[in-house]
Formats: sequence, structure tokens, C-alpha cells
Amino acid sequence: MKRIAGRIAFNLFAWLVVFVTAFPLVWMVITSVKPQFELFRIPPTFWPEQITFEHYARLLWETPFLLYMRNSLILSTATTVVVVAVATLGAHSLVRFRYPGREKLAQLVLFTYLLPSVVLILPLYLMMVWLGVANSLLSLVIAYTTFALPYALWLLRSFMQGIPDDLENAALVDGATRMGAFFDVILPQALPGIISTSLFTFILSWNEYLYALVLVNTDAARPLTTGVMNMLISAFNIEWSLLMAASVMMSIPLIIIFAFLQKFLTRGFGAGGVKG
Amino acid sequence: MSSSSLPAAPSHPSRRAATAADRAAVNPLDRGYALLGVLLIAPTVLIFCAVIIYPLVSALYLSLFSIFTPTLAGSFVGLRNYAELAGSPEFWRSLLNNLIWTVLTLTLQVVLGVLAALMLNQAILFRSLARSLILFPYFVSTVVAVLVWRWLFNDLYGILNHTMMWAGILDMPLDWLGAMPNAMVSVVLVGAWKYFPFVVIAVLARLQTIPEQLYEAATIDGAGAWGRFWDVTLPQLRDVLVVVILLRAIWDFKEFDLIYLLTGGGPIIGTQTLPLMVYKEAFGMNEMGRASAVAVAMMLVMLVFMLVYFRVLKARGEEPR
Repeated sequence: MKRIAGRIAFNLFAWLVVFVTAFPLVWMVITSVKPQFELFRIPPTFWPEQITFEHYARLLWETPFLLYMRNSLILSTATTVVVVAVATLGAHSLVRFRYPGREKLAQLVLFTYLLPSVVLILPLYLMMVWLGVANSLLSLVIAYTTFALPYALWLLRSFMQGIPDDLENAALVDGATRMGAFFDVILPQALPGIISTSLFTFILSWNEYLYALVLVNTDAARPLTTGVMNMLISAFNIEWSLLMAASVMMSIPLIIIFAFLQKFLTRGFGAGGVKG
Repeated sequence: MSSSSLPAAPSHPSRRAATAADRAAVNPLDRGYALLGVLLIAPTVLIFCAVIIYPLVSALYLSLFSIFTPTLAGSFVGLRNYAELAGSPEFWRSLLNNLIWTVLTLTLQVVLGVLAALMLNQAILFRSLARSLILFPYFVSTVVAVLVWRWLFNDLYGILNHTMMWAGILDMPLDWLGAMPNAMVSVVLVGAWKYFPFVVIAVLARLQTIPEQLYEAATIDGAGAWGRFWDVTLPQLRDVLVVVILLRAIWDFKEFDLIYLLTGGGPIIGTQTLPLMVYKEAFGMNEMGRASAVAVAMMLVMLVFMLVYFRVLKARGEEPR
């Protein structure tokens, strides 16, 4: 009897902790569906007295939110495709080939992953001005490779080390070329790893703020992070429900990806986590 | 090179990969493949040189100049930027803030992370849902996290002030972000909330691989719950915690988004850390040369963390954890 009471108490305590941790995000959703006037109620209401989606409608039709969303989608997709393609070849080379400097290179990858963006950002800024691509999505794709490529390379390397050599050896014995074996044997085996690496890279790019802040100052190329923050700074009076609606909207892709990634969480974080 | 980052999968196959490469080296026919290997890594190396190595060297070079940001016109000044920094109270204050922020938020992250992991390792109802909810702060964009927290912290309508006044903890609404030391406390708290799930994931993965027999043996020896934690769990977690702490120390030290968006370094420079100072010097003061000097100085501090991290990885060799 005492045992059961203890279990119940522990469950209640555990869920209280979970609730407190998740509360800011719950509050975000609740605020986004409250009418503006209800926000200024003292004391505040927990459940909205009336649920409204007017903020979402306003966000989509009266602010540049959709433009930012489009920019973020293009930017994150382009970064992911470029980085994962390059990193897949690179990781395959680091795992299955032997040449001088290979070990040092692997170490360098880890080192670059730990580099702070603020050190690279000033020279990158000058580089973009010099190349004449400043203020464009292209400049951001280039800048995002600085953190996304080391990350993807490190993660893919760990995935590819898990593929048994015998598979490739068998293909080679059967007369396949190294590249043939790569496409027919390694690539299908590495596919789950490649997919989850892509999703993690996508999240990294989706959430990036500093490069976007420094390299882009026009709405035409602004991604969601700096765009939504701009809505806060440039607003005459801050409309919190609108901002919360924007926060919910920009988190939705992450929730979808998160659901897919459950299985790979440990691996993905293992290669250095989601935050650069 | 150790292949181990954290938290490694239980069975780590890196050793097998190394033997394959060895075999390739032994077999003379396979040696020709080295060229193909170099070809495959070439795009990576080229991109690395262009967007990482070149900017890194360039940052060192820029720090020897005085550059006006809007026109990018500049002149060589040698080490003057560094001399100015050494004599600037703002620089030392930012470094101190940086260390305070890192130590405090890191400590909270580790303590909360280990506790939450222990809790989530127990049998509780809807455990996988609970895990997802705990992990989610780590996934959301810093921008979202900051917007939500600024709304929670709002002095007039924020739920935090209301709840605390209702509970009798506060008499008056608290200015969470505009006064010191509140601003530092708030930043540290939000940092802990945002990043402790990283510790949870790493520790949880390790907890699941601790052999059950160790606990059974300890129980037979008469250890209570506390004793089992102290003598079995904690020693088993040591390795993973060392890596987690080093990684998080590096990431917390270079954090920009969270602090910049919450307080902008304010009030005045109360929560200004080195990354924020770099940004301010470059784009607020238009002193790109001096900003580079701050960035380089910051790199030097971080190199200490990084060297320790590499040392630890190397000491463990290829040992899977």
C-alpha cells in the first residue's frame, strides 16, 4: 500500500517537473489564441475565455511572415542539400580510405565545430561584401556551411563507422569498383544516417540567428529568426499574441521533424548537439 | 583520433573501421584508392579553407588594423588594439561577465540535467511523452525561447510576476531584465532552461547502459537508494559528465543569441559577454579592427577549454563508452 502511494507521489512530482519545464511553451500556445484585450486582464486568465485565430490570420496576411518563412525554407533546404552532399562524400572518405593527414583532418573537423561564430563573422562579412553577394540568401548559405558542414561531417562519420566493412568488401570481391560499391552498398546502408543528419542540419539552419543578423538587412532575404525579432523591435506597441502566434508557427516544422527524429536523438546530439 | 563524441552508442564500431583502412594500406592494389579518397574529401577541404580557415587567419590579420565599419577603410596599427583592450575596463568586465554566466548556467544545467535524467529513467506514466516535453526547449529556436521568456518576464502583464505575487514570494512586480543583478540571474535561468535537456539526453543514454547487476550487488551489500546513487550511478556517469561539461562550457562561453536577445548586454554592460562585445565594437562602435581583437582574445580563452577537451578524448583513445 505504502509502495503504491509512493509511486503515485513520484509520478505526480515527475509530471509537475515536466509541466514546469514545458510551461513557457504551453503559455506561448495559450497566449497566441487569446484575444488581445484578454492579455491585459489582471489577474491573468489561464485558459482563454474565448479562443481566436485572428492573430494567425493577421500574421499570415498583414505581415511579411510568409516571405520570411519562404526565405527560411529556401535557405535551410539549400544549406542542408549542399552540406549533406559534400559531407557524405567526405565522411565516406574519412572512414573507408587511408591517406596522409586523414587523422588530422578528422580532428580539424571537430575543432571547427567548436569555433565561435563571432570570430568568423567579421571576415565573412568582408568576404560577402567583396564577392558582391552581401544581403542575399546565397551569402547566408555560404555562411551557414561554416557550422553545418563540420556538424554533418562529424555526425555522418559516426553513422558510417557503424556500417560493417564486410559489406563493401563482398561487393569489391564481386567485381564492383569502389565508387560502385559506394553507391550500391554504402549509400543504402547509410540512408537512415543521412536522413537524420539532414534533419538535424535543417534544424540548425532554421534556428540560426547571428549570421542572419549581420549579413542581411533587407526583408527580401531575411529568414524567420531575424524577421520575427524585427517585428518585436519595430513594433510601435508590442503585440504579444501576434509574436506568440509567430513563435508557434516557426516551431511547427521543428515539431514535425522532432517526431521523426525520436530514434536518433542520442546520436544526433552525440555529434555535438543541435545548437552551434 | 578518438572517434568518440558523446554519448556514444553502446557498441562502437570504430575499431573495425580502423582495421579496414589498415588492410587497405597493406594490400598494394588498394593503395591506389588513396587518390580516390583524397578526391572524395577534396570538396570538404576546399570549403573548409574558404569559409573557415581563411576567415580565421583573416580575423587575426584584421585585429592589427583600425577599420571603420561603414566604409571599411583602415590603417595598420600593429598591436595597438590589444594594448587598448588590456587597458579597457569594459573588456575585463565583459570577460568577467562571460565567466560568471558560463559557470552559473553550466552548473545549473548539469545539476538539473542529471536530476531530470534520473527522474526520467524511472518508470513514470507516459514516459516517452514526458521525455519529449523535457527535451523540447533545446529544439526551439533561441528567438522563440527569448520571445516567450520576455513575455513571461513582462513587468506589467507577465505571468511570472503575477504568480509570484499571488504566492506571496514578491510584494512588487520585479524588473527581471532591466536591473542588476536580476538581469544576470534571468539570463542564467533562461540559459539553464534552454540547454539542460542536452545534459538530460547524454546522461539518460548512459544510464540505460549501466548493468543492472551493479545495483543488485550494491543492494545485497546493504546500500540504500542514496548509497546506490553515490557508489554506482555517479562513478558510471563520470566519463560522460566530463565530456558534457566541457562541451557545454565551450558552447555557453560563446553564446550570443540568447543574451543578446534577452538583454542586449544591458543594463549598460551588466550582462555583456565577449561575443556581445565583438558585435557591439564592430557594428555599434564601427571599430571592426578592435572587434577582431576582442574575438581573437576570446578565442584564446576558448582554446584552453578546447585543448582540455581534446586531451580528454585522446586519453580515452578509441575506447568506446
